[in-house]
Amino acid sequence: MDDKRARFEGQVLPHLDAAYRFARWLCRPGEADDVVQDAILRAFRGFDALRGSDAKAWLLTIVRNCHLTAAKQQQRRAFVPLPEENDAADGHAMIANDANPESETIISDQKQVLERLVASLPEEHRTVLMLREIEEMDYAQIAAVTNVPIGTVMSRLARSRAALKAKWLKEVEGEPRAMR
Amino acid sequence: MQCAESLRVQAYFDSEVDAVSAAEIERHVEHCSECRDLLQDLEKVRSALRQGIAYAAAPAPLRARILQALDQDSEAAPHSDAATRSETATGTEAHRDAMSRRWRPARQPRIFGGRGFRFGAFSGIGGAAIAAAIAFFFVLPTLSPLSNEIVSAHVRSLMPAHLIDVVSTDKHTVKPWFAGHADVSPAVADFEAQGYRLIGGRADYIDHQRSAVVVYQHGAHVINVFTWAASGTRLPADTTRSGYHLAFWQQGDIQYCAVSDTGWDELLGLVRLLREQA
Repeated sequence: MDDKRARFEGQVLPHLDAAYRFARWLCRPGEADDVVQDAILRAFRGFDALRGSDAKAWLLTIVRNCHLTAAKQQQRRAFVPLPEENDAADGHAMIANDANPESETIISDQKQVLERLVASLPEEHRTVLMLREIEEMDYAQIAAVTNVPIGTVMSRLARSRAALKAKWLKEVEGEPRAMR
Repeated sequence: MQCAESLRVQAYFDSEVDAVSAAEIERHVEHCSECRDLLQDLEKVRSALRQGIAYAAAPAPLRARILQALDQDSEAAPHSDAATRSETATGTEAHRDAMSRRWRPARQPRIFGGRGFRFGAFSGIGGAAIAAAIAFFFVLPTLSPLSNEIVSAHVRSLMPAHLIDVVSTDKHTVKPWFAGHADVSPAVADFEAQGYRLIGGRADYIDHQRSAVVVYQHGAHVINVFTWAASGTRLPADTTRSGYHLAFWQQGDIQYCAVSDTGWDELLGLVRLLREQA
């Protein structure tokens, strides 16, 4: 294996899982795989530009650029069909229509609710929240990946956390005022 | 109406503030019930997310597909795709721009891995001489584990709730505290009149022993003075690492290192006071 490839595998590929998670938060279901693959290849071709900086933030920046490019191409298509109700792949994600809710434990039920609530946040709020809480990146890294100033990262984080809490209260405990 | 401090409280929660701001925010939270609630909410949201969101890993088929694509890409001419390169580079510039606003550890030159390994291909005395020269110029200045250890300990101490074990501006409280917590009993003094306020002490682990750390505040900056028993380790020269200045000295059988992001003059001012005082 040549030198560049070996360094790439040592520095960048450890962040493949993070790139995949990030792509799943950004993209529609089914598109994440292609975006990640595209991003890794571009990262490899541009690897010389990485030099000393943070490989994880750098890779996620490329993932986001790939996602934006892909989304732009999609917009050019005139018609995007809505998923059919019996479309197994998409329909499941859109409608919480579990045939047998009793079989679910409360915890996994809550997990599903949480994932759905996170998914319902606007994209720019969802991504900063996930980068902070799940990928544990700091503000400067998040600013780099999402290409906004740090102040914007802070306000988006605050709004997404507040929104998630409000949605959670509404979902789990009913109308917040009624419960208190 | 939201408290005007809410974004700072959030930054505190996210470990994005220095020790001095952290202390300010802690004081604010003590008397602002709204910010106390905010901190609780932030913690609830965090733990819900960290427990409730699946840490998905890239599926094995995707990983295999990517490795295969990389194989093909390595075989093809790697630098022919100019469009891709410039697009990637733009992302990188924006990225580096944001990164430069904040301290980042510099990556050490890879002497033993990667490129350096090619020197193995040189054979005989010439190769050895080149390797020795490289080692002299690059390895020696970068390999000072003690300096690295101290910078790491300093940065760690600036994270919220790590700075001080014994909070006191009284040297008669700080010095005896070390007796049970560290292997040395360093000089402790308050130089408030000269602008260096004693704010407390901490135990740390430096050079394989329990080190006593005296914490001073100078303006907005924290100065950690690490002390440990001299064990024959030669002290490195004063140096600057990742934006932090390190000044080393020895008094009797105790070795000292003062670390801070203040200017050199300010740091050496404290060093002078400590040396005179002993």
